[in-house]
Parts: sequence; structure tokens; C-alpha cells
Amino acid sequence: MQLAAVAKIKSLNYTNISYRNIAGKATSSPAENYLLARRRTLQVVVSALLTESGFESAEKAAVETLTEMLQSYITEIGRCAKAYCEHTARSVPTLSDTVVTLIEMGFNVDTLPIYAKRSQRMVITAPPVTNAPVTPKALSAGQKRTHPAHIPSHFPEFPDPHTYIKTPTFREPVSDYQVVREKAATQRRDVERALTRFIAKTGETQSLFKDDITTFPLIAAQPSTIPYLSALLPSELELQALEETDSSEQDDQTDGENTAGNDDPGADKENSMLPPSGVVPSTKASEDNVIDNPYLRPVKKPKVRRKK
Amino acid sequence: MIKLNSKQCRIYRVRVNDLEAPFLYNDPTLEVCHHESKQRNLNYFSSAYTAAVSAVDPDAGHGELVIKVPSELWKQGDDLKVLKVYIEFSLDQPKGGLHFVVPDVEGSMAERGAHVFGSCDGKMKIFSCHRFWFPCVDSYSELCTWKLEFTVDASMVAVSCGDLVETIYTHDMRKKTFHYVLPIPTAAPNISLAVGPFEILVDPYMHEVTHFCLPQLLPLLKHSMSYLHEIFEFYEEILTCRYPYSCFKTVFVDEAYVQVSSYASMSIFSTNLLHSAMIIDQTPQTRRCLAQALAQQFFGCFISRMSWADEWVLKGISGYIYGLYLKKTFGVNEYRHWIKEELDKIVEYELKMGGVLLHPTFSGGKEKDNPTPHLHFSIKHPHTLSWEYYKMFQCKAHLVMRLIENRISMEFMLQVFNKLLSLASTASSQKYQSHMWSQMLLSTHAFLKSISNVSGKDIGPLIKQWVDQSSVVKFFGSFAFNRKRNVLELEIRQDYTSSGTQKYVGPIKVTVQELDGSFNHMLQIEENSLKHDIPCHSKSRRNKKKKIPLMNGEEVDMDLSAMDADSPLLWIRIDPDMSILRKVEFEQADFMWQYQLRYERDVVAQEEAISALEKFPTPASRLALTDILEQEQCFYKVRMQACFCLAKIANAMVSTWQGPPAMKSLFTRMFCCKSCPNIVKTNNFINFQSYFLQKTMPVAMALLRDGQNICPKDVLNFILDLIKYNDNRKNKFSDNYYRADLIEALTNSLTPAMSINNEVRTVDNLNADVRLILEEITRFLNMEKLLPSFRNTITISCLRAIRQLQKNGHIPSDPSLFKSYAQYGHFVDLRIAALEALVDYTRVERSSAELQWLLSMAQNDPVHYVRHKILGMLCKNPPFTKTTDSALCNEALVDQLWKFMNSGTSHDWRLRCDAVNLYYMLFGLTRPSCLPLPELGLVLNLKEKKAVLNPTIKPELGVGAPDPVSLGVCGVGQPPQGLKRKADTPLGSPPEPGQVLQQQDDDGRGARYKIRVRHEDIDMETVHDSQAFIHHHLNLLERPSTPGTHTHTHTHTHTHTHTLIAEYRNTHTHHCRGHYIHVTSYKQALDNKKKPAKPGSVRRTSTSAGRG
Repeated sequence: MQLAAVAKIKSLNYTNISYRNIAGKATSSPAENYLLARRRTLQVVVSALLTESGFESAEKAAVETLTEMLQSYITEIGRCAKAYCEHTARSVPTLSDTVVTLIEMGFNVDTLPIYAKRSQRMVITAPPVTNAPVTPKALSAGQKRTHPAHIPSHFPEFPDPHTYIKTPTFREPVSDYQVVREKAATQRRDVERALTRFIAKTGETQSLFKDDITTFPLIAAQPSTIPYLSALLPSELELQALEETDSSEQDDQTDGENTAGNDDPGADKENSMLPPSGVVPSTKASEDNVIDNPYLRPVKKPKVRRKK
Repeated sequence: MIKLNSKQCRIYRVRVNDLEAPFLYNDPTLEVCHHESKQRNLNYFSSAYTAAVSAVDPDAGHGELVIKVPSELWKQGDDLKVLKVYIEFSLDQPKGGLHFVVPDVEGSMAERGAHVFGSCDGKMKIFSCHRFWFPCVDSYSELCTWKLEFTVDASMVAVSCGDLVETIYTHDMRKKTFHYVLPIPTAAPNISLAVGPFEILVDPYMHEVTHFCLPQLLPLLKHSMSYLHEIFEFYEEILTCRYPYSCFKTVFVDEAYVQVSSYASMSIFSTNLLHSAMIIDQTPQTRRCLAQALAQQFFGCFISRMSWADEWVLKGISGYIYGLYLKKTFGVNEYRHWIKEELDKIVEYELKMGGVLLHPTFSGGKEKDNPTPHLHFSIKHPHTLSWEYYKMFQCKAHLVMRLIENRISMEFMLQVFNKLLSLASTASSQKYQSHMWSQMLLSTHAFLKSISNVSGKDIGPLIKQWVDQSSVVKFFGSFAFNRKRNVLELEIRQDYTSSGTQKYVGPIKVTVQELDGSFNHMLQIEENSLKHDIPCHSKSRRNKKKKIPLMNGEEVDMDLSAMDADSPLLWIRIDPDMSILRKVEFEQADFMWQYQLRYERDVVAQEEAISALEKFPTPASRLALTDILEQEQCFYKVRMQACFCLAKIANAMVSTWQGPPAMKSLFTRMFCCKSCPNIVKTNNFINFQSYFLQKTMPVAMALLRDGQNICPKDVLNFILDLIKYNDNRKNKFSDNYYRADLIEALTNSLTPAMSINNEVRTVDNLNADVRLILEEITRFLNMEKLLPSFRNTITISCLRAIRQLQKNGHIPSDPSLFKSYAQYGHFVDLRIAALEALVDYTRVERSSAELQWLLSMAQNDPVHYVRHKILGMLCKNPPFTKTTDSALCNEALVDQLWKFMNSGTSHDWRLRCDAVNLYYMLFGLTRPSCLPLPELGLVLNLKEKKAVLNPTIKPELGVGAPDPVSLGVCGVGQPPQGLKRKADTPLGSPPEPGQVLQQQDDDGRGARYKIRVRHEDIDMETVHDSQAFIHHHLNLLERPSTPGTHTHTHTHTHTHTHTLIAEYRNTHTHHCRGHYIHVTSYKQALDNKKKPAKPGSVRRTSTSAGRG
């Protein structure tokens, strides 16, 4: 059965179209007719091979299945041969492509001529000549570009311009200063209000009106243990803002380092002992090692008592 | 007899040269008037208090602690040999002197940021309160060198005066001992101490300067201290003198008693002075504080005063050189503005309260000679001074220094300072010739002598006028132009009869700006001449176009159309250089003020013109003010002042005002976007002048009122828009002060609510505008909880706004919100703002509950400053006064306040004086009117003998006072030695610290007439008679009431040193123990310490190793 199929390779090589979708459908278009004719020929081939093998009759379903298998096999040979051909930068498969393909698929090529010349083979009439279907031309839009001089003419043509030309579609953004400011202000206010209301709802509140505690809820004042810390240290938000402005304004680096560079001053006592690198003139930096300040000296161990 | 100052301490034993010495401990200021006498008048209290303070005055050789030198040593004393006094004492839960800050959180003491510091008001060095934490001679004139040892927890740092020699672990390695040596002779009040888990920063420019701050504040410290070296350089340069100490330490502590206090080689600051680089407003304030502290290092710490009467010289010099620093750093405009501000302050105070006397002399000591009878307190001792008075005293002192400079030139002035400093520094290096040390003490006499030596000028009249006399001068000026003679007829009158004024005779400078230029005239103010004729240089010629020369040589074009065609006078200024302490009320036409504002280049003149223009609401004034506002070369503080004047003028012109509300278009032009004028630009505060203007204009605009006397809708919306569109994201500076000012603007826009017959205020009947304002305030206040602003400025503004809303009847008046913010644990500024609102509430609502609440906080709050402020604010905004009737004024309140100032404030001079002030404010000098009338005779006697020391005893005796003896004791003021025992003290009771131990006196009257008995005159027999009694007590005293064994080892080295060895255990019960070794010659003790010490009669001390 396999061998019988080989004869058809050449004719099928060119059709990369899946038959499956089309089979069984009652259609009338010329393309489908063409395909149906081929399929019928395949069925005849299968029947002939079956007869040759000694079968008297076959169920239709079995014939169909075998047809399907044959078709798949042939299609695979065709696809594979084409791949080999393209791999070597050609567009038309040669015999050697087909041979390699067959070998690749585990077929013993040497047996093929003998099989072809066997005595009891049946000759099947060629399928009726029908014109290969013409693929309808895709709707062309615009003028296709011609190849520039450095591209050989055999190269594929440019696709339609609409596939690669940029077509701006976004709306004009709002750049009106007033609207931007308005929006920023409203947004911030809304966020602030929502946030504070949330905190007020979830925590203790105070009110300015005895009868109505919801209209102007004030977050209750909570005494803190070290009140001066929060009152004196810049908040993280401010530090962040400072860093941003500093990165944009390179002229004033020392200030930035003074404040922004020490987010966590308490963490590192060793560092805190040293003078700030940011404000020390570079000439002084070398002297830092020799600062003799009594508060930086190590604490002495107590003298050993005389009598033990 | 050796007398030392000591308060609060528990003294276990005293030894003199290893011999046990009996001692007496009597603190008469603990309770000023003894027993529940019915006296409630302030005259009586003041004299008793003065007497009590005199009784322990170290300058007079008195003290609370009287040590009896064992008779074995008398011989040694007579031979001028050294006596070594060894005092073992402890200090338990001190209420004053030392201040412990222990945050109530988990963790070790160091993690909690607990610290302790000498909370003495070093800035106000007068209230020397070192006797509160160790026994000493608490006087500025007793110099000695010091060795100090402090043993603290290993996590802590002890910062004190002098050089840190070494730091040694204790044997268990859990504690460290800091050894300090101060080789420069220093008085006890200049010694201080701060202990805490400080972060240490060595100054990058001056390695001998070390800064200390509380944990986590190091970045702020680095920034805030980054310019200290410039101040150092400035002072050293102008004084041509090195900083006298070998090191300098700055310590920033929480809950500081005052913002700045200077001690020998160290200064203690409030931690709230620290700021980051983003803060604009705090920066100059912090720099000023640093400069003040440093100026006091030279004059105040290094050079000390001879006696209290010489205090003005030191305050004057340090204030004066601080002024020079201001001039150099902030510019001449700022300096002149500051001088004007200070002058206005002192003038206002003296005119209101009566004169401030810089150099009081007390001849004979009779109460009748009281140089300041108008005051309700005595100025004989620093401890009895009102705080406000003392601030004004300092202010006047530096102004007088400036007057001296005007007279003798700055060059001579600086030479004098240099001379004083070099004398002192020579003296200080004389280690073994302590008689030289008196050069380190400055007296008025020495200062004046030095001035006359250096300058050769006689400044006697100046000193007599401003230093030996109190009060200021009040001028009224007016003029007429005599066209025929081309003469300016100036009339200068004086008011020297009302309180706080004095007569001025002498030169006065008048500057006349004419068309042809500016001319100075020196006029002589004499007894009877009021009129002065000043010839004019130019003829009036209004049509000629010519530039007009100004005082500074500049020539300007002026539009002369406004001026009087007949007169060549543009404007006139009286005493333009402020070389008299005066108030001038001068009359000139509105156009003259306008010219003065526009063209006079002196900021003081501009400011005077602005305040004068308030009375001339005309379009021309408006134009002049607007022009000044827009003029960028103009000093920003003048422009700020112009804003407020413009608002006043606009209100006065409300019916004729043309165009948009005042300043609105100006603000729009300066600070709003070009394309959309209703939106303010995103903040950029890089230009400080315009920043201050941007802050001020809305505040002033909000004061505008329309025909219905409410803030125009336009203006309110404008301010609301400013808040809405405020955007600080691109700004490198914080906008917290700006936002706080915008809230203040909202507050200013408030006007009283439509009164609808006392209807209860609810949310529903809120005015729509008020609702908008309230919404902003709510949002700001709540946001502040999440993102607190620097020093909580925004919350503070919000609290003020809420109080204003309450006061104007928009929302129900309710103190609970303020109460919650006034609690301990909030930032101190915030607490003060809340308390201010409460004080106001108390006055408006006459709420006795709130008054009680405030008073109890004034008695119990842990923070001294807050307690001081409460009383201060109650004085400023009293719930009632002596002239008004109030339900609040009742007997219970009188008793409460009386008790408070009599005995409740013995640990804090400042607070006691505050309480006295409040009592004066509420009840006046005499017996409060709300008290039931005592027997008629008493009242009459009071009136007759008002100035007599104690006019009430006799009547009281007559009336049948409970205890004649005790009355005798308290009424006369303390007999100086306090050798009397309170009659009702049980003999066997163990004396508590500070308890009055008095020898039984046989006769109250006898004691009374012994008031002026000097210390040497004590009848020794009496003393001997009391020995039995004393010894009885000493036996008890020798057993310390706190159990525990103490071992002491001493090694004696004869240096001229006081040694204080103290161990500070930072435990929950604040507790200090210490030994104070103080050696003095017997002779010296008797010599009353008035004279400069003779060789050999030096205080000698020994060092001693710490306790085991």
C-alpha cells in the first residue's frame, strides 16, 4: 500500500492543502471539484492495491481509512521534501530531496524500482484533467512598493502597505495646564480625604459637634512617647521628594546628602562617630583618621585592684 | 561657720578635715510665709520672699546649709590654713535643678532616649539654681577650678564642663565613669551636666567642638551645626581673642528649661532647634540661638559677674556682640529692624509696667529705698524677678551697650572687650594665685573704668540716664514751616510724668529731607525749650525737574506733585539712629509719610512710615504701599508689614475702594501662573524674600472686610484656591509654614456668626463658607496625623482656627479637643497652642473647671517650660483681673494660688515668680477683694503702712493670730541664719531634706528686730546653747534614711578644685547621690566673701575617689 502511494508523490507534492476539511462536503466550486477528483483517484488506488493483494471486497469505512492513511503519508512526504528543498535554498524539490525524505521516514529506497516493475500491477487511469484551482487574489490595498535596487527581484514582493505602515490612532492628550493642575489638585484632595476618612472610621475620633460625629471626624490625638521625633524629622514623603528634586538639581549636592543620605541614623553608631563626609572639605577628609576627640577615645578598662 | 547653698538634697554627714561637723539645713524659701496666716496680700508675700532669699544669699555669705566647724579646727582657720569639707548627700526625685526625661516605652534606658540635664536657665543665668542639685556656693562671684566625676550606665554619655580626661569602666563593666577637669576658675552656677544616650558628632571644622543630640536626630544635628564654625570665627575675630576654653560642647535635650543655656565650655539647647535642610523659617532662629549661646560663653561663663547689680554688663555685652553677629550674617536691614523691634518692646513694657532698672543700688537696705516701688516684686535678687521683667532687662542691657557704642565708637568698644578678655585670660592661667581671679569677675565699675581708659570719653551722663535710672523717654513731635524765614519750626515735647517715663535732657538728632538733600541737625533738648528752629537749605520749587539727593548719596526722581507747593520739606525724622531709648510720636502730613516710605532707604524709617500711614486711608497711601510691596529691592520685612497696613487701609476705605480686593492682583501677578491666573504656581521657595511675602499676603488679605464687615467672598475663595492648588512636589523646601499660614489666613477671614438668640450650634445650621473652611481644617488636621509637619506647625494653626471658630460662635465652644492636645506626650509647641486655646476658653466662658485644670497642670506637669507657659499665658490673658468682678474670683482660688506660690513652687524660681505675677494680675497688690474683710483695724493699718516691711504683725497679734512666735518668724523675713526652730516641730522628728530646722527662739519680737543682724554678729553663745539640740539631731542625721552601706576612699591632692562625684542611676526613681568636697578656710567663710580673696584664703578642695 505504501509503495503504491509513491507513484503519486510528484503530483501531490504541490498541494499543501489539507484535504480533510474539504472531504465529505457537497460542494460545487472548481477548487473543491479538483480536490474531490484527486481523492477519488486515491480511493481507486487503494481499491486497486487491495485487489492486488487478493481482497475480494472491502467495507467502505475500511477503504476510507486506508485512503486517509495514504493521503497522510503522501502529504508528509511532500511536506518533508519541500522542507529539504527549502533548506538548501531552492524552491522546487528535486529527486534527491524526495529520496532523502523517504530514507528519513524509514523507507528502503532500493526496493522501489523493483516494486514499480512488478508484473501484477494494475494501471490506473489518470485522474480527469481539471485545472488546478486559482487562488483568488487577495484584495490589494494601496500601491505595493517595488524592491529597492539592492534587493534582487526574485525576492518576494513587499506586502501590502497597510501591513507595515504606522497609522496613528491615539487621542490628543490633555496638555492644558489648567486642567492638569485642576486634576492633580482634585485627585490629591480626594485621596487625602478618602484616606483620612478611612483612618477616622477605623480609629478613635474626636468631634467638633456633640450631636454629629460623622460630618467632620477628627482623628483623635494620640500622645506619643517621644513626640519630638515625628515633629522634627522629615517624613519619608518629604525625603523622597527631596531626593527627586536633588537628582534633578545637581548643583546642590551637599544639602541632599545631609538630609537624604541618612535615612536610618540610629542604626549605625560607628558611622555616626565620624564626621559627615558630605560636608567635610576634601582636604580635611584625610585628617579624619587622626581626630583626637576625647569622646571618640575608647573607654578604658578599670585598673586591677591591688589587693585581691 | 561655713555656709553653703543646697536645696532638695538629703545630706547624710559633713566632715571638716576628717572631723565630724554638726550642720543645720534650713531652706526658708521652701515655704515663704509660714503657717496658715490670714495674710493674702502680695506686698506681704513679696517682702517675706525677698527676706527669705536674702537669708540664703551666697553673695552676702549666707546659705541653706550651715556647717559648724569643730572647735578643734578654729585655730587652723585663724591661721588661714586650708579646711577640707566633705559632704555626703543624695538627691531623690529632684523636682527642679536636674531634669529627667524618661520616655515611657519598652527597652533599655538608652533605647528609650532617656536623658537628664541640669535644667537651670543658664540663659537667664540669674536664677542660678545649682544649689538644687549639689551643695555649693551658688554665686557667680565665687570662682574655683573643678574636678568632676560622673558614673553612668555604659550606654550613656555624661557631658559636663571642662575637658574630658578619661572614661573608665567600673569593675563590673556595666557603668562608665567620666572624669572631667576644668582648669579655668569657674563659678558654681556655670557648671552643668547632661547625661543621655547621645549621638556624638565631632565638628568637621573644629575638632575640639563636639555636638550631642538624642538618638535618631544625627542628620538634623549635622545640618544644624554646619555653620557653627562661622560664628566662632566671627566672635574670635571681632574680639581678637581665642575662645577661652579648650573645648566646646553643644547638647540638644528634650523638654529643655529654656531654649539656650550656656555653661562653662558647654551649652545646652532645646532639641527643637534642630532642623533639616528643607526648613526655611527655623534656620535663622537656630542660628541666632547658637550665636547667643556662644556670645555668652565669652561674657557670662568665662567672664562672670561680680554681683547681681553687675549683671547688666554681661548681658549687655553678650547681647551686643550677638547683635554684631546678626548684622554681619543677616545684614544691616535685619539688624536695624531687630534694634527697632527690641526698642519698641522695651518701650512698650516700660510704659505699661513701669521702668526697668539695669543697675540697682541698695543703700542701707531699707525697704523704703526700694528703687522700683512700682513693681510687685523685688529686684534685689535675681530669684524674685518676674520672667518678663528679666527678658526686658536683657533687652535693655544690649540696647544700652549700643548707645555706648554710638558714643565711643565700635572700635573702642571692641578694644574694651578685648581688654577685659585678655585680663581675664591672664588671670585664669594663674593657677596658684587665685587672688588674681577676681579679674575674671566683671563689675559695672570696672567696665566703666575700662571704657574711660580706652576711649578717654566720659560716658557718665549716659550711664546715669539709662543704667542708674529706669524708664524710657516719650517724645511728641510736630512742626510748622515758616515760609518767610524759610525755617522749620520743630516742637518736641516730652511726657515724663506717666509711669515708665523719664525726662531727657541732651542732644537729639533730627534728619530733614529737603528738596536739595538730606540734612542732619543736632538739637539740644533742654529743660524749658520746646521749640527748635531749623533753617532750611532749599527753596520750594516744584516745577524744576531735578533729581533729589538722599541721605545715602543716591539721587532719585520723585513725583513731587503731592507735596505742599510752598514747602521744600519732604520728610522729617527724629532720632533716626535710635540713640535714645524712646518712643516718638511725630506728626507730619500723609504725603510726607508716603515720601518717607518710598524714598527713605532706612528700613526703620520705612517701618515708621508704614505704621503712620495706617491713619491715612487714602488712595495715595494705597499706591505708596502697593509700590513698596512690588519693589523687590525693598527689605522683605518692610514689605510684609506693608501687607497688613494695606489691609487696614482697604478696610477703612471700604466704601470708596476701587478694583479687586487689595493685594489680590499683586499676588496673582507675583505667584500665579501667567496662563491661568486663578492657579498658584507650584511652590518654589528658592527666593526667600518672595517666600516670606507669599506666606504673608494671604494672611493679610484675609483681614479685609466688606461693607457688611465680613470677609469678601472673593478673598475667601482665593485662599481656598491657594490651598487647593498648593503643590510642593517640585520644591526642595518644606511648605509646612506656608500651609500653616494659609490656615491662619482662613482663621483671619472668620467673623462672628450671625447671632440667632443663643441657638445651639449644629452641623446643619453651619454657614456655607464656614463649612468649606471647616472641611479644610479637618483634612489638614487629619493629614497631619499621618504625615506630621515640622514642629507640627499645621496642627497648631488648625487648633487656633478651631478656637476662633468657637469664639465666633460658628461651632459649639468646647475645651475637650484642646485638652487632649495639651496632654503630656504631644510635641511641646502643640501643647502650648492647645493650652493657649484653653486659657482663652477659660476667660471667655469663665469656666472654673478649666481654670482648675490649667492650674493643676501648672503644678504637676513634667515639663517645666509648659508649666511656666501656662502661668505666663494666664497672665497675658487673665480669666479676670483685679478691676473686674468675676464668679471665678473666690476665696478658694486665692488660697490655692497663695499656697502654690508660697510653698508649691519652691523647686523652681521661675515658676514661683510666674505664680506671683499671676496673683498680681488677678488680685493686685493688696488683699484680694473677694476675701471676707478681716477686722477693720487691719485694713486701716495696711493702708497707712503699706511700705513698711511688715505692717501686719501688730494687727494680726491684736486680732489674735494663732501663733505669735511663728508670725514673728515669718513676718520679719527670715533672720539670716535660720537658727530658729519652728515652734511646732517635734524635737525628735527626723529632719526631711529641706525641712526647716530652727532653734527655738525665746521671743518672736526679739527675732523681729534682728533682721539686719549680719552673719558675723551672731551671738556665739546662742549657738552654743543650741549645740545640745543640734547634736541630738545630728545623731539622727548620721543614720541615712536610705539603707545601704557606703564606703569611701579619698586621696588628697591639693589642687584648687571643687570636686563633685555623682552617680546618676537612671532608674525609675530618679535618684542621685553624690559627695561634694568643698574646702574653705575658716576665715574666708567668716569674711562674708565680699572682698576679693586674699592669698592663702582660697577655697581648697581635695579629690576623692568614687563610691564603691
